[in-house]
Amino acid sequence: MTDSQQNNSTTAPVVACQGVQRIYQQDTVPVYALRGADLTINAGEFVSLAGPSGSGKSTLLNVIGGLDGFDAGSVVVGGVDLGGLNAAELAEMRLRNVGFVFQAYNLIPVLTARENVEFILQLQGTPSQERRERANIALQRLGLGDLGDRRPGELSGGQQQRVAIARAIVTEPVLLLADEPTANLDSKTTEELLGLLRDLNQQQGMTIVTATHDPIVMSYTSRQVAMLDGEIHQDSASAG
Amino acid sequence: MFNTSLFSTLAMLFNFSLRNIVRYRRRNFFLFAAIAVAVGGTTLSNALIRGWQVDMLETAVSGLTGHIKLQAPGFADDPSLQNAFSSLTPISLDDQVPILGFAQRINIPAVISSERETRGVALVGVDPANEGISLYRDFVIEGEDLGGPEDGRLLIGKALAETLQTRVGRRVVVIMEGADGKSRERGYRIAGVFDAPMKVSEELLVFTGLEAMQAALGNAELSAPITEWSLVLQAEEDRGVAQRELAAQHPQLVVKDWREMQPQVAEIVDLVDATMAIWFFLIMSALTFGLVNTLIATVMQRTRELGMLRALGMNQGLLLIQVVMECVGIMVVGVIAGLLLGVAMVFGLGDGIDLSAFSESVEAFGMSTILKPVLTLEDLLLFGGLSVLVGVFASYFPARRALKISPLMAMNR
Repeated sequence: MTDSQQNNSTTAPVVACQGVQRIYQQDTVPVYALRGADLTINAGEFVSLAGPSGSGKSTLLNVIGGLDGFDAGSVVVGGVDLGGLNAAELAEMRLRNVGFVFQAYNLIPVLTARENVEFILQLQGTPSQERRERANIALQRLGLGDLGDRRPGELSGGQQQRVAIARAIVTEPVLLLADEPTANLDSKTTEELLGLLRDLNQQQGMTIVTATHDPIVMSYTSRQVAMLDGEIHQDSASAG
Repeated sequence: MFNTSLFSTLAMLFNFSLRNIVRYRRRNFFLFAAIAVAVGGTTLSNALIRGWQVDMLETAVSGLTGHIKLQAPGFADDPSLQNAFSSLTPISLDDQVPILGFAQRINIPAVISSERETRGVALVGVDPANEGISLYRDFVIEGEDLGGPEDGRLLIGKALAETLQTRVGRRVVVIMEGADGKSRERGYRIAGVFDAPMKVSEELLVFTGLEAMQAALGNAELSAPITEWSLVLQAEEDRGVAQRELAAQHPQLVVKDWREMQPQVAEIVDLVDATMAIWFFLIMSALTFGLVNTLIATVMQRTRELGMLRALGMNQGLLLIQVVMECVGIMVVGVIAGLLLGVAMVFGLGDGIDLSAFSESVEAFGMSTILKPVLTLEDLLLFGGLSVLVGVFASYFPARRALKISPLMAMNR
């Protein structure tokens, strides 16, 4: 953990989950995706939620990001208690506080790379001049300065994921959530991307949480939280 | 205060929507075509219906009725020279109500006989110079036209001439009621035989000079008697104002408009507007069902993308606007293409559709045998506007359906 991360650990956590339960109804059978998960993430941490399929890592990530609800417990993100928020309020929370990077990139295909990054700032009401400048800075930071005018279909998988990361960080969110961000990438591109994320974490102090089953991804993170059957099985923070 | 941020966001959504339309151009092309055909077909059919309405109105007004007619009280029940008024009665209208022209006439029932046949007709005394406002102007005359109001010869219709088995230059006998109430029988030479747009006019109307008729029928009590003073306005919309003004000026006369004189035609003219509305509603209903089906498929195809946008924080309201904007954009393009197609088809019809093969039926409806489509800017704007509203309506429900899916479930599709 860096000095800034150590200092930040004394301030309010970015994420505070207590006893979080998520139950899905499959026909008449309840499926416990989360069984009372407790997780606290401080500012500046780079955390991986690791585990096999069905372990609940993506579910926990989605609950933290306000994409999925929860049936018991509490979730506080960036000081905002998600428990009492309706759909519109959750959307607003995501827009202001959370950056998402998805496995399938999920860029808007009809917009250019720059426009994809500007899109989020547009939703926040950022003036056009500032939008453009911030988008260019974000793209340059991720090595995409010359590719801003290309559409996603004209970019490689790694480039598309970089655009997705640029879109996620351009709003300077409290938290960056990445769900299997390297699953569709080759090993070389995976390493490049993970290096970028680590740089964002170490140099910019970005708090990042990634759900993964890839040991390579886990090796780049400063904290590994292992999940199994909807529970947190092991946490390198408490172990270390 | 104008919200520039909101305007900027809407502009962005508009740009986004346009690009999505282009993105799915193959699918959207067929949608455009379907909308264009529906709107184009409706434009053409409504132009024909409007043309029918205009034709009936023009026929009603030009067939000696005019927009407004002044008559003496009692003439409607007893159409004789005993219910006449003087042509010297000063009749005028405010300059604010522009008129095309007016005509003074004697128009009374009579019986015309040749050596072979006898028929009941309307004998009409006219000044040909003033009959540019009536069907008289469209006569194709074999022989000679009347020389003026003093011309004592007859102009009869072609159909009547055939019935009477007579021709130009021959003599016929006309029996009519004089000013004294007694029958007058006079011989007339046929100056010309006219061919009119409507066969019924050829069978019923016989024209002669107004002054000659006044001299023949005699009326010592009235100076230059006439039975009607017919007025044609430049605009149908001025009819009410003109009628009220003339009625106020001449309380001793009966002032009627064409709707009162031809109530059946008036009802049919009114019915046309309702017909057009019903027809448009039916076409648009059919189009709406097809649109909704296609638009649902369009929106559901984007469910994952819509879920992703919501995941990023785009609120449902903006998303709804974007989806509706895209659907309406498709509709607008299709509607514009449809209107252009409709206009092209209307112009392609040129002089209209020849219905002379159905002349008897057509004339029974008070129409001429050439059906000319009529396009008005109001109709085009109405079709266009309502069609776009149909697009809004048709897009709203698919959009609402898509937005009900949670972002997570949408992205997992």
